[in-house]
Amino acid sequence: MINRRRLLQLGAFSLAGPSLTVGLLGARSASQSCSPVIPNDHSPSNGGSCPYPIPWLDKNGNHNQSPMPNVELSNIYHFKGKLARGNGFHGMGTDNKGNRLAWGTPTTDYSYMAGEYWAGRQSRQRTFAHT
Amino acid sequence: MPSDGLTFSPDGKTATLQMVNVPIIDQPRWPAMDAETTPARMDFKLVFKATAEPVTYEDPARHYRFEGFKASARLEAMLRVESIDFTFKTDPLETSSSDFAVMGFETNGQYYDAAKS
Repeated sequence: MINRRRLLQLGAFSLAGPSLTVGLLGARSASQSCSPVIPNDHSPSNGGSCPYPIPWLDKNGNHNQSPMPNVELSNIYHFKGKLARGNGFHGMGTDNKGNRLAWGTPTTDYSYMAGEYWAGRQSRQRTFAHT
Repeated sequence: MPSDGLTFSPDGKTATLQMVNVPIIDQPRWPAMDAETTPARMDFKLVFKATAEPVTYEDPARHYRFEGFKASARLEAMLRVESIDFTFKTDPLETSSSDFAVMGFETNGQYYDAAKS
């Protein structure tokens, strides 16, 4: 049986960051592909729009690290723009059975990044959220 | 995400990220390799407020620089796992807290190199 309290501590609060998937406003899909398209008309292929991961994190299988002083806070390499990150979010809440539950852990982290990144040999503007 | 999901106060010191119906996964046994997943949805509001304490994190060897301010960060959220009839609503934003938060401006990779040259 799934332990609901554990869900609140670990599961549902940590999805988008590791895959650089972004949550979207409204009901739009988060699975829009950014992979390079293989041209079938001999047109140039310069790569896709997927952001580059942080090189020294990606080689270890991670796309980000827990935010703290003096670490790379970005999830994206070749980026310039606004960024905020926080971790250790916690609080209380109530489930649909009326149970009062604590949520959050030291690694519950959220962030936004809004600005310019370089991919597919061109600069791109985008806003990302890490939930 | 649509850029209008992220808004800033006129002085730039408060940022609000608000999203609804975000597709997520419920994965209680994460990070176990065989941790099962269940589709879920989340609405949330995240608010960062900068303090007056500046911070700069820079590593020329790794080509990154972050310049900004320490911040407070608060979160409220609503989670729904429809397949198991589970919902969870956090208490209001003001009751939450975080251990560490910063907000500012990041430059890395080729943009860092361009700024240095």
